[in-house]
Order: sequence, then structure tokens, then C-alpha cells
Amino acid sequence: MNSAVFEVSKFARLAVTWVCIIFGAVWLACWLVGVFIPALITQAAASSTAGQYWAEICRALVPLVAVAVFIPINAMFMVLAERRALALFTVRKGPNRVGPDGLLQTAADAVKLLFKEDITPRGADALMFTLAPIIFFAPSIIAVIPLLAAVSGNHPLFGIANIPTGIFYVLAVSSIPVVGIVMGSWASNNKYSLVGGLRSAAQAISYEIPLVLAIVTVCLMAGTLDVVQIADMQKGPFWNWFLFGNGALAHVKDGPVAAVAAILLLLCCLLLFLIYITGACAEVNRIPFDLPEAESELVSGYNTEYSGIKFAIFFLAEFTNLFVVCTIAAVMFLGGGHSPFGSHVETGFINWLGAQLQSLPGSAQVLSPAWLVNSLVDPSTLSQAIWIILKVYTLVVFAILVRATLPRFRIDQLMDFGWKRLIPLALILLVAVTFLRELL
Amino acid sequence: MSTETTSLPATGRLKTDEMIINMGPQHPATHGVLRLLVTLDGEFVKHVEPVIGHLHRAQEWQGQNRTWFQYQALIDRVDYLSGMFTSWALCRAAEKIDGTEIPLRAEYMRVMVAEMNRITSHLLWLGTYLIDLGAMFGFPFYPFREREKLLDLLEAISGQRMMFNYIRIGGVQAEAPPGWFARLKAFTEEFPQRVDEYEAIVTQNPIFLKRTKGVGILKKQVAMDYGVTGPSLRASGVPFDLRKVKPYSVYDRLNFEVPVFDGDGDTWDRYMCRIREMRQSNEIIKQCMEQIPGGSSDELREKRKACNSCDKADCPNCGGDLRIMTKKQNAGLRIKAGEGFAAVESPRGTLGCYIISTGGDTAYRIKWRNPSFSNLAVLPVLLLDHPIADIMAIFGSIDVILPDVDR
Repeated sequence: MNSAVFEVSKFARLAVTWVCIIFGAVWLACWLVGVFIPALITQAAASSTAGQYWAEICRALVPLVAVAVFIPINAMFMVLAERRALALFTVRKGPNRVGPDGLLQTAADAVKLLFKEDITPRGADALMFTLAPIIFFAPSIIAVIPLLAAVSGNHPLFGIANIPTGIFYVLAVSSIPVVGIVMGSWASNNKYSLVGGLRSAAQAISYEIPLVLAIVTVCLMAGTLDVVQIADMQKGPFWNWFLFGNGALAHVKDGPVAAVAAILLLLCCLLLFLIYITGACAEVNRIPFDLPEAESELVSGYNTEYSGIKFAIFFLAEFTNLFVVCTIAAVMFLGGGHSPFGSHVETGFINWLGAQLQSLPGSAQVLSPAWLVNSLVDPSTLSQAIWIILKVYTLVVFAILVRATLPRFRIDQLMDFGWKRLIPLALILLVAVTFLRELL
Repeated sequence: MSTETTSLPATGRLKTDEMIINMGPQHPATHGVLRLLVTLDGEFVKHVEPVIGHLHRAQEWQGQNRTWFQYQALIDRVDYLSGMFTSWALCRAAEKIDGTEIPLRAEYMRVMVAEMNRITSHLLWLGTYLIDLGAMFGFPFYPFREREKLLDLLEAISGQRMMFNYIRIGGVQAEAPPGWFARLKAFTEEFPQRVDEYEAIVTQNPIFLKRTKGVGILKKQVAMDYGVTGPSLRASGVPFDLRKVKPYSVYDRLNFEVPVFDGDGDTWDRYMCRIREMRQSNEIIKQCMEQIPGGSSDELREKRKACNSCDKADCPNCGGDLRIMTKKQNAGLRIKAGEGFAAVESPRGTLGCYIISTGGDTAYRIKWRNPSFSNLAVLPVLLLDHPIADIMAIFGSIDVILPDVDR
């Protein structure tokens, strides 16, 4: 077999295995906390108020459990996927020795990092130095929670995660990490770190504006800040995505003005997506915007002095942030968990499978084997999960491909590009989209 | 009181406190162990002082305490990315003093392996330079793909991948192994397309252009004043290449062009200059393979079956131009008394070797003229008023190699 094809197939095998592990684990944990344990409690303390109370508390914990299980193993997978994908792009093999197909490489790395000496440099501000990675990491965990509701199609288990101003909350929280970077760089008492931290602050402020403007434009089109509603508006075939103007092309046959407006709207939306992706790359410090940690200039930038578990947290948070921005893009522009082909075939299959499961003998009786299977296998959530995984990881692989191709900007060029190109363009698009929507 | 901090200097930037940053010798991007004492005003470089000597191994002194036979093996280490050139410079100087006659086939072999070595050196530069610019993970591996092929060929002929010890006083070490010429021919045919591939990714890349165009401008006069040589000099518009202006070996029999740029002499010019040099070196190798007396090693082996590889000086298949070595290679290797200087055009510039011999088994005195050392001297001028991010972009573009600086 062609060796390139062979390597790609090995990579695909690895990715599928990992994704199954991640989402299997998350779903199992959610099911345990949200379905199984409440059922046990309810059965043990039937109809007592305390039992109901504890069962509710258990259900409320589901989003937290999901995130706590998901974030670390997902970041581990993304590190491995990135290394393997970069190896593919650069005619190498990548880590393939630890565990089958190198599956456990990041686990081994994590263990190594956890057992390394945790050094606080002399002259560093110890408290700030320790707090910085936590402040960097914590927001990326809590930012994902509303997105859980969107990507699971507002599944009842994640009901508590569904807040009406979801995207506002996500954006607000995900802009906190830069505080952690600046804190860490200042507390390190290192000139390289300081330069990296200040660059990071400047960059995050500059690129958050076009990013938020792009998102605001989508919210404007959707008329809501609720991520679940935004995702649901993009149901149906892929031209209903906000990436393609949320069904603008359907208006092409409504006369010449509407046709022109529809096509312009489509172009505006494509541009908005590009602006979002650019801003997101800058927001999470990926090449070509990785100036805060520019290795060839600043050694390692803001995390130069970090080692051991604190460095591991920085590392983890970086990949989690990448995942978060990709998920936002998938929800806002790519239709969330909805199938890109409309939902005819899929819905039929899901309904059929659901009916089959429902008709298992004894499935109505709580805690019977049939009930276990029935509550554990949820065809509609499974289909949503598969689509969102595909969309998010396509974006992640795109980010890796960009990393494998481009050199780095210089800080002044970065600022020029942000303030003189992206922000004006995003503003123009905001106005243009508003105008064009009226013409349809 | 506060007039000093609020007044704008002539450059139009707000004056702030200066900060001294110590880049290296452990900095990941200083290509080894260079230490740069950088004085910064904000993000801009005010003063640079290269501190060298961290890799000083007394190569010149060792030359006076090692026999010629030992020293010619040692000297590859001076510039470990282009070992052929250092040994070639040493051998040319020694042969000049000694009056050794070099057979034509050996000369062609020398040119071939040296040009191959030039390509590997430039390829490595290309990869690491992109790393300096921040393309950390993708592109830098592609040049290494071709470099591996060349290193395999060089290993096949010399037995070593980097410290070749192939060019010896009196000729070259060995005849090429079977099939070597065919493999090299296949490489030279595919290589131009590979360079096209690199250019497709890099040359017109907008970010690459932004980082290199107009950055680190080296004026013609400044370059000449500081004794800069090699591609960095030619990128500034000075058509100085020893292979052309003072042809040695068989370069006068070969048809090639030396790329010279009449532009600004910025970083992008230096990049293009090296890219074109790789193409030219490839052409030179092709011509050598056609012109080399005796043809490929396989053809020569066929012919020598007639005389059973007799190795006699008057044999038409083994002697004359078809020899590869004229001096006995053992610890008794002697060079006649006298002194002489010889230089070759290495991938980094003019690499010269000055030898005084008293006729013993060691040199009386050896002095090297290393291109990296002279090229590094111009760095403080180049870096002035550039932002900190450009330090490595400019430093990388003059292609300094630290053991070559420190010896």
C-alpha cells in the first residue's frame, strides 16, 4: 500500500479510538451521575423528599462532571493528535511507541510532568506564580458549560447548562485567561516572560474585538444570544448554516434584488467566518499568532519559568482553549450538532433505533437490564455527538495544518493587521449584514 | 524634571528606559552557543554585542600538535555543516606548499562532493531559518528530506555523514561505490522540482515577505567594509565568488552562474541568493558527472577489469588523470617546508587557510580565515533599530555557524 495512505489510515484509526474513548467516558459519567445514581436513590428512598432532593442535586452536577471528565482526556488526545498530524504533514511518523499506536504517549508525558520538580524561581512572586496557571485554566473549563447544551441538542441531562445569554457568557469567560498569562509573566521575574506576557495582553485585546464582532453579527442574524436556539436555527441542510448565510440562497429566486442581496450575504458570512477563525487563532496563541511564546525570540515567552504541574496546566489550558474556540465556531457557524444533509435519513434511522430500544421487554421498569440499555443508548444524542465531533475536529485539524505551514507575524505587523484590517472589515460586515437581511 | 521621559527622540518613538537582555548562550534560537548582549528600548534594539568563544576548541593550536594525517580528520569539525570545504581549504594550502599534483578525476570528485555539501548546508539553513521566523513544525522538515538523500550519498562515498574526512592532501579518500553515480544522477534530476516546492510554500508567502522584505538591509559598502563574504555579500550586490573571480580546481571548466542581487541586500535577497545557489550547485554536479574523466565509477570498474585494477601510474585505466590519490595516507604524511595560503568558497563565504610548514609531520603554524567570524561582525550594524522579533530573523539570514566562529 502507498505509505502515505497507510500513515493516514493509521492516524484515522488512532483518532477514532481516542474519540470513542473520550465520548464514551463522558457519556458514561454523565449517565452514572444523571440517570443511574438518581434512579438508585429514588428507588432506595422512594417518595421521600430528601431522596428527591439528592437525586436533583445529582442531576444538577451532570454538566460539571461532563466537563471534569472531558477536559483532561480531550486535551491529552488533542496533544497526541497534533503531534501525529504534524508528523503526517512533515513526512515523519510521530510518537507511536507508547501503547498501541502511541495511544498512551500523552498519558506518559503527563505522568512525567506531574512528577517533575515544581520550581519557583528566586525573586518570583510565589502566590501570583501559583495562581496564574489556575486563572489561565479555570475559565476555559467553565466556558464550555453552555456549549454542552448546544452541542447535545438541549439534552435534558444538560438542562441546567442552558442559559439564555449563553454566547455572551462564553465570550466573557473565555477572555479571562489573558489575565493569567500577564500574572504569570509578571510573577516569573524574567524579562522574556514579561515581554511575552505584555505581547499576549496586547494581542488578546486587539483580536478579541474582531472575534466578538463576528459573533455579534451572527447573533444579530439569529436574533438571540441563546446558543441552543442559534444551533437549532441552523437545522436542515448545510446551506442553513450561518457560514452560508442561514438559508440566504433560498431567496435567490425571489427577484433580482433579493438574489444579489442573498449572494452578498453569503459572501459576508464566509468572510465573517474567516475573521472569526483568524481572531480565534490569535486568541489561543496559535501560529501564526503565537507571539506570546515565540520560541525563537522569547525562549518560551510567558511560560519560560514554569515547570512540572504548573507547566502542564498551562499546556492543558492552551489545548482546551483551542477546543473551546473551535466548538464556538462549530455552534455559531457550522450548525452545531445538526447533520449537514438535512435530517431525513438520519431521523428515520434514529426513530427506528429508538423504537427498537423502547420495545425491549421490561424497559419501563427502572433498573431492569432493558432499562439500563435503553437509558444508556440514546440514538439522537449519539448522532448529535458524531456530527459535532466531526465539525470541531475538522476545525482543529485545520488549525494544525495552519501551524504546519505558516511562519510567525511580527508584533507590529500583528497589531497593524488587527486594527487596520480586521476590525474595520468586521464593522463593515456587521452593518452590511444588517442591511442585506432587510433586503431579503 | 520629566522632560526626558516625555520628549520624542528623532525616530518619533516615545523614549523609555533601556533594558539589557542576555540572549544566549542557552537561548533556543542562537544556533548553538552565541551570546548576544542586547540593549532594548521598548521592543527596539539599541545596541548589540555578540560575545563569542563559548565553543573555542583551539583548532589552530591543535593543528600544530597533530600530525597532518590526524589534523585533516579533525578539521571537518570546524564547520560541521560543510566539512568538505574546511578540509578542501586545508588540503589546497598544504598541496600548494608541497607542490602536490592532483589528478583530474580527484579534482572533479572534490567539486562534486563539495557542491553536494553546499546543497546540504543551504538546505539545513533553509529549514532552520524558517524556524527562526516561527514556522516551527511544518516546513523545516521538507529540506531535511533532500538533505537526508545527499547525506546518504556522502556517507556512501566517505563513510561518514557529516565529518567526512574525504578530501585528503593529495586527492580524495576513495573511489565512489557501485551505483553511486546513478543515485546522484537521479537526485540531481528530481532536486530542481523539490526547490520549486520550497519556493511554492515560502517565496511568495505573505507572512514570509512581511518578515523578510526590507528587514536587515545590508548596504553594499557596509558589507565590503566589514569583510562579509558568501551569499550575504552577493545578496548585497557584490559579485564576489572565489569560484568565479579566482577559479580554483576545475571551476573554470564548468559553466555556472553566481547569483548576484542588485537590490537592497535585505533578508529576502539573502534567502533568494541561497535558493538560487542550490540550483546552480545542482547544475555544477550534473556537469561534473558528464565531464569527469573515466566516467562513472561503474564504467571505470568495467574498464579496469581489463588490467585487473593494476593501479600502475602508466596504465590507461588506472593511472594519469584517472587516479584519485597521489600521496600515501598514513602517519608519515609530510608537507615540504614553506608557507602558503589557500581559500575556497564555502557555503558561508571565503574560507581561507594559512599554513607555515617546516617539513615535519606537524604544521609549524596554522591560521584559519573563517567566513562566519567575519560575517558575524556585521550583526550589530544590521540589528540596529530593529524590533526584538527581527533579531533572529536577521541573525539567521547571515547563516553563521558557531564552531566556525570560535574554532
